[in-house]
Amino acid sequence: MAASFEIANLSAWYGNRLAIEDMSLSVEPNQVTALIGPSGCGKSTLVRCLNRLHELIPGARAQGKVVLDGENIYDAGVDPVSVRRAVGMVFQRPNPFPTMSIFDNTIAGFKLNGRKPKAELLEIVQRALTAAGLWDEVKDRLDAPATGLSGGQQQRLCIARAIAVQPEILLMDEPCSALDPVATLRIEDLIMELRERYTIVLVTHNMQQAARVADRTAFLLAELAGDPGRLIEIGPTKKIFTQPEDKRTEGYITGRFG
Amino acid sequence: MVETRRHFQEQLDELESIILRMGVASHDLFRRALDVVATGNEADADAVIAGDDEVDAFYMEIERGIVVVFATQGPVASDLRFLATLLHINLHLERVADMGVNIAKIAKAAHGLPPNPRVLRTLQDMGVIALDMLNAAMDSFARRDVALARSLPEMDDPLDNLNRGMLAEVLMESDGRPMLEWGVHMHVVSRQIERVGDHAVDIGEQVAYLVTGVFQEFTDASHPEVEESTRLGDVLRFDGRPLGADQGEP
Repeated sequence: MAASFEIANLSAWYGNRLAIEDMSLSVEPNQVTALIGPSGCGKSTLVRCLNRLHELIPGARAQGKVVLDGENIYDAGVDPVSVRRAVGMVFQRPNPFPTMSIFDNTIAGFKLNGRKPKAELLEIVQRALTAAGLWDEVKDRLDAPATGLSGGQQQRLCIARAIAVQPEILLMDEPCSALDPVATLRIEDLIMELRERYTIVLVTHNMQQAARVADRTAFLLAELAGDPGRLIEIGPTKKIFTQPEDKRTEGYITGRFG
Repeated sequence: MVETRRHFQEQLDELESIILRMGVASHDLFRRALDVVATGNEADADAVIAGDDEVDAFYMEIERGIVVVFATQGPVASDLRFLATLLHINLHLERVADMGVNIAKIAKAAHGLPPNPRVLRTLQDMGVIALDMLNAAMDSFARRDVALARSLPEMDDPLDNLNRGMLAEVLMESDGRPMLEWGVHMHVVSRQIERVGDHAVDIGEQVAYLVTGVFQEFTDASHPEVEESTRLGDVLRFDGRPLGADQGEP
């Protein structure tokens, strides 16, 4: 069983500006939890709080509990680097290291975490690229620069890089927004496969994507300009998309306000 | 908040207005079919049969419209429930019109046979109930009125009872073979009217689903006692006397 998050009363600030307020929700193991909501609702801030990336922005801070495997990642004495290793992240734009080969990109996490023998690294690369559905396409050109790959391949490489270090949870912040529809569907298929081993939190602007791949969907909203983002509703995706409880969820997913 | 998806909303509104007009057309066709049973007027019967084309045209227009919206708009939540509901109501109304056509055809086939006034009265009573139910069903849809929708099974009970009694009524009240033959035709008419009541109840179920998001059958047709009493043995014994007439006697 993969790991889970228990998020309780989580708030986050950029300087004096409250970005998300008092969010409490659980992220269930081996499930895809989608975060949806209009721009500025705090989706990305929320996921960046889940691996303590948020606090890297000058003036940014978070308060509340994010319990991973029984431990609050915000407790004093918790090393943020170990949190970021346990909670992998895939970003909006594929961001392979431009000067590195496909091979080196895949094991970039290990290079930062100490050296390993070449044979072991190859095994890791093969496992990660296979899991990311990229192995067959790149196995004959592992030393080629990653920038020679298509956008969809680059994003799968970034997923391989994230899972190579065997995280417990995978955060994906709009991983398909820069990809064409076919590459998007490939990533979605991959997400469904990865769910068997990992717990996934997926931020998406594409509601149909949430409907297709997520087990549970959370709707976030900053109601008025300047309001912080709040959790409006979370539930099984089937229920959210057929019978949402909250009028604001209904309004957003049916596209009646934006 | 900005209002968005105006074109989409217009598509939904247009489909709703078409189905409301279709409801009126189906109701009208069915009412005229019932009149034909009473009058036996063949020209009117033919007009009813021809009138089905109008309802079918509505049916096709709605069906196509729904498919286009599904294909192009990605409807979810209440929009999705609305379209799913529309698919069902569309089919129910089309079937109601078909019942009208069936009745008109039967009326033509029975033309010239001696009618039984009592059976005729019962059919007219049933027709009034079925038409009321159809009105209530479409009103409940137009107003999203779940309470009205939920009242439909109760309206349907007398209709079911009259239909169940129809076989015995025909068999026992017919005066001679030609009248019996007429009655056998009318037994089928009774069944058609009863089915219209069922379609109205089903439309009500769809309305409740549309509004609440929870689909539940109002009644369970597969429940054993519903069908039981329609068996011939329950209404008539071989000597032609109603069952139970001699019960308690030694």
